[in-house]
Amino acid sequence: MTKISVVRSVLKANDAVAEANRRRLEAAGIMVLNITSAPGSGKTALLEKTIPALAPALRSAVVVGDLQTTRDAERLGGLAVEVSQINTEGGCHLQATQVADALDTLALKDLGLLFIENVGNMVCPASYDLGEHLRVVLLSVPEGPDKVAKYPTIFQPADVILINKMDLAGPLEFSDEIVMADLARINTRAPVFRVSARTGEGLEAWYDWIREQHRARFGS
Amino acid sequence: MSIAQDLMRQLEELAEENDIVRVDAVTVRAGVLAGIVPEALDMAFACLAEGTVAEGAELTLEIEPALAECRRCGHRFEPEIDAYLCERCGVADVTILQGRDIILSSLSCTQRGNGNDEDQRGP
Repeated sequence: MTKISVVRSVLKANDAVAEANRRRLEAAGIMVLNITSAPGSGKTALLEKTIPALAPALRSAVVVGDLQTTRDAERLGGLAVEVSQINTEGGCHLQATQVADALDTLALKDLGLLFIENVGNMVCPASYDLGEHLRVVLLSVPEGPDKVAKYPTIFQPADVILINKMDLAGPLEFSDEIVMADLARINTRAPVFRVSARTGEGLEAWYDWIREQHRARFGS
Repeated sequence: MSIAQDLMRQLEELAEENDIVRVDAVTVRAGVLAGIVPEALDMAFACLAEGTVAEGAELTLEIEPALAECRRCGHRFEPEIDAYLCERCGVADVTILQGRDIILSSLSCTQRGNGNDEDQRGP
């Protein structure tokens, strides 16, 4: 029997494809946002509001991952953006190769943004770079205020955090003090926006942040 | 599960490159922040290895500590999975230098031509 010493990153293949995705989209002037949250936090609802609000100055495409169905893509397709639905058929997160394949199906010309709506899951997506420039993490009021403490690995690398469904904060007696106290240990860099994708509350600050990030990368 | 799939893919590549006919043991080094559940990886690996060169191989997982660097002041320290606060400047704004990686670090195996595999039989 032989003992072989190797140093092979198990995620290497994914990381290489992610880097290629990033370069390809950057060359096209497209900023990529990878959106992660638990299922049902309002990722699709957020995009339904965000995409029309940023157009026509910033036109968006969406790559959306789910285990099954094309329902999210159908919802977003109504907004006349380029949408590609990936069914992971059991996979709990998207991988860079799936995004690369999806990019081949999208017309990337004249786009400013690509939103990747990851599979609803707060664990595995943290390990997989998809080629994004920015990581967006959503948590919603009905999930309770302990999400940051319970899932630190998804919040630590977040570039922006949205607390969604703020319209329910009153009835559910939700306080963001616990969220902010946990973030003080885990991530003080990401701005936190309190929003309601349903009512539109607080979304203007989120839109401004996206515009600013795009300007910082690609100029006006 | 997908980490086990990626691991199997790497093993199969290695097996092909190095004429490996049988893998007896595999060592994986994973960072404490890599999100690996040892039992889950064990089970997924055992399932995926069935019918491959790594069927029945023993999987050893070594967990490595993390290393963070404060983006504000450059201070390097070992973070906890739920604590990334820089003790020097009091912000939690770090780059993770180490602790997310999952590395296939060694394997014990039988290679073709070692005299004890099937290809060596015959006249």
